[in-house]
Amino acid sequence: MAAPLPDVTLLGALPPLPSLVNARRLRAQRLGRALRLWVPAGILILMLAMCFVLPLVASLPSPTKGDIIVNNEPPFSPGHWLGTDMQGVDIFSKLVYGGQVAFEIGAAVTAIGIAIGGTLGIIAGYFGGSVDAVISRVLDILIAFPALVLALVIAQGLGGSEIHVIWALSVFGIPAVGRVTRGATLTIRGLPFMVAAKLSGTRGWRIIARHVVPNIIPTIVTFSLLGVGIVIILEGALDFLGYGIPPPTASWGNMISNGQQILSAQPEYVLIPSIALLVTVASLNMLGDALRERWSTQ
Amino acid sequence: MTDALLQVDDLRVTFAVGGREVRAVDGISFTVSPGATLAIIGESGSGKTVSCRAIMGLLPTGTAIGGSARLRGTELLGLSDAELRRYRGSDLAMVFQDPARSLNPTMRVGLQITEAITTHRATRGGRQSKREAQQQAIELLRLVRIPAAERRFHEYPHQLSGGMRQRVMIAMALACRPKLLIADEATTALDVTTQAQIMELLLELQEELGMALIMISHDLGLAASYADEVIVMYAGKIVEQAPAAGLFGAGGAVRMRYTRALLDAIPHLERPAHTLLPVVTGRPPDPTALPPGCSFAPRCQYAEDDCRAKVPALAEHVPGHRWACWHPCENGAAPHD
Amino acid sequence: MALVQQIQLQQGEPGARGRARRVTGSPALRMVGRRLLAVIPVLIGVSFLTFAIMSTLPNNTAQAILGLSASPAAVAQLNHSLGLDRPFWVQYWSWLINVLHGNFGTAVQGQSVNHELAIYVPTTLALLVYALVVSLALAIIVATLAARRPNGIADRINLTVSMLGLSTAPYAFAFLLIIIFAVKLGWFPVLSGPVTGPASFFRNLTLPAASIGFGLFAIYSRLLRADLVEQMQREDYIVTAKAKGVAPWRVLIRHALRNSLFNLITVIALNLGGLVGAVAIIETVFQVQGIGNDLITGISNHDLPLIQGITLVFALVTVAGNLLADILYAVLDPRIRYGSSTS
Repeated sequence: MAAPLPDVTLLGALPPLPSLVNARRLRAQRLGRALRLWVPAGILILMLAMCFVLPLVASLPSPTKGDIIVNNEPPFSPGHWLGTDMQGVDIFSKLVYGGQVAFEIGAAVTAIGIAIGGTLGIIAGYFGGSVDAVISRVLDILIAFPALVLALVIAQGLGGSEIHVIWALSVFGIPAVGRVTRGATLTIRGLPFMVAAKLSGTRGWRIIARHVVPNIIPTIVTFSLLGVGIVIILEGALDFLGYGIPPPTASWGNMISNGQQILSAQPEYVLIPSIALLVTVASLNMLGDALRERWSTQ
Repeated sequence: MTDALLQVDDLRVTFAVGGREVRAVDGISFTVSPGATLAIIGESGSGKTVSCRAIMGLLPTGTAIGGSARLRGTELLGLSDAELRRYRGSDLAMVFQDPARSLNPTMRVGLQITEAITTHRATRGGRQSKREAQQQAIELLRLVRIPAAERRFHEYPHQLSGGMRQRVMIAMALACRPKLLIADEATTALDVTTQAQIMELLLELQEELGMALIMISHDLGLAASYADEVIVMYAGKIVEQAPAAGLFGAGGAVRMRYTRALLDAIPHLERPAHTLLPVVTGRPPDPTALPPGCSFAPRCQYAEDDCRAKVPALAEHVPGHRWACWHPCENGAAPHD
Repeated sequence: MALVQQIQLQQGEPGARGRARRVTGSPALRMVGRRLLAVIPVLIGVSFLTFAIMSTLPNNTAQAILGLSASPAAVAQLNHSLGLDRPFWVQYWSWLINVLHGNFGTAVQGQSVNHELAIYVPTTLALLVYALVVSLALAIIVATLAARRPNGIADRINLTVSMLGLSTAPYAFAFLLIIIFAVKLGWFPVLSGPVTGPASFFRNLTLPAASIGFGLFAIYSRLLRADLVEQMQREDYIVTAKAKGVAPWRVLIRHALRNSLFNLITVIALNLGGLVGAVAIIETVFQVQGIGNDLITGISNHDLPLIQGITLVFALVTVAGNLLADILYAVLDPRIRYGSSTS
């Protein structure tokens, strides 16, 4: 330690050390984060626009009546870029109007699920005790019950129509949202700020509105996006089994089901609606994942 | 300097999180001699844990690490994981903060210790029977003063008390007689009486086995009572470095304002009753947005314009005593002005 | 309670039972007992719900048997002889008593539901187990490979494939499989025949099992991968293991995978209810001779006894799966097995 000490005043301010992290990698990270959110969001907006705005601004061929002379046209034929089916109905029109049905049912079932299941879940999670025991038991029964069976029985009993399909599928949506909401509420309930709110004498419903609901919204929104996707698949399943939207009304499930009959000759009848279904549900799933990623890092 | 056990030069660690750069450790250097005790003191987020994990190669992949860390002349940084594993757990061992979370909850403690033994014995040739490894593990449990070691060997972590769990962690770290033990806040999660017991145990074992010890802590008092040398870190940099005697001994003095503030925040019996305990106000800076000058300036009540403009260098102002401050305390006494 | 005994028999693997006896009075045994008791109200609730819904719906069984052209008098006559004109409560009660005696009643076409179940349940169970085991095994392998290097090639491929699996409707995927493997390549039949032995099991149930399994694989591999990566990055005991010098693969498999599997067990059990729906659809697509397909036929025939019987079996599978998960959890996780001392 006998080395001469450096002159401190000459040392002066320390220059900042150069960065170790590649700037390109940082940019790539930010870009990836943005793409994961906006690509599925963009696809969904496009799909929604295609299903709900396009029929208003452009005159599409009828999705139910077709010209038998131009039946079984392959894709990219003049006037019918996705071709026509066995009755000569334009497949693109069917896809558009079937998409309307899918989105409407997906949104409606999820909304009913949140309204009824969400309320039950919050009540069960927040109040606990015997209220929770009763509600949880009912949700258990509904979950142990094969949802599709119940939906089929209801749809069959009520007869096919869009509104009946919505009610039938709500049997699936309500307990699922209920369970998720209850879990999220339970987590929130144990946090210190909730205890503080309770100790300060805030009323129960006020705590729910001010503290519980805002904090479980991220969970519910991400779950709902996944839920809409599942509902769209289930709606297709009901159509496919013949208990959903009655033909000739267009729906993706009906298109898949009809295409089944000439599967080996013209697989595109099954493939086209299946791809539409896949793209929609995948976008919903990816959007849900991206939102969860954002909200969990905050 | 050739007799140093561990020599760290200009160590830097940088993460890329969510598209932003976080400099967790920004150019630190220190040496540890064989058998010595070094204390690294700092608040959470000051980079003390990250620097030790960087040396051990325990940081997640994708972390950028610069500088050098040599164990008896062998460069550790830049070694492949497979090469580093030869040192990890054998020459270098680590004990962590929370013994409840550091032990695998679903494995019997005995198995977790034998794993440490067999991992290194296999790579060093001489394979040994399971029975021998078990015998050694039980001896290790006795070494860390665990009563009824044979029975504890077959228990799960949740069946042990906090102090017992930390003893198991120490037993595991000592499995291959390391040259250097890093104790990362090893006593923080324990209650005060257990803390003292574990500290005593560590020092006794250090003596017995002749190993060097790096104590990472936020507790300056702990460093004062047990360490040979003390390093104080703030926002990824060393702000003061001196032998413990040079800081706390007779004639020694704390110079850096941050160290002073930490020292003042320790309650003393001599302090007049019913007076306010001085605390370090404010929060550690956001590592993604460090201030341009001295990192401590925003929280320092003696900061002047030059503090906010220029970064002070860590320089050896008194033999053996380095600090980084434009306006250091005079002889560690109560600040003037 | 014959039903409860039946569940116990199903659960009572010799190993599990021996172990349960050893921990008599332990928290684990008490928990299993509590769960067993909770099974009863759930099963009663499920059967009651089916009964209630079926009886509120129009279009009754007699009409279904006799056809739409039958005279009202004939319908009323048949209703009476079937006991369907009795009050709802009485009907439910007599059904319940019969079931507890092991008698599921008679289906619309006159065959005994017990007989029907005995024929079809094994095929469906075989399909279910086939799909579950293969997708689980693949998911464990793929997720472990992916978690070894997050964002590496294996991880990216897995994330893409499993996103497809999550988003594909099982019936649509079934058609894709049929187009490729049955129509184009001819490796498997388009429609499944009866399962008689191992060879016909693979020939007839592989495509249906793959249709169901793709979605399962997607769910399992994603969950497992996320859980493994989370553990490898966050858990202190992983750092401890690495600090010991344990090799990365060994850390992943011995320290992380074991704990992640606990969480996966719960998910598998919770998913069984939804899985039953997929089984019903896929059995219909391939005309597999199982209870799922039979159920869809039963629903279109408004065949209450058959629907009741099959629904109860499905509910039983779900509940038994949940119970099995709880028991496995209790047997495997030492924290539950020995009770937690302090936290």
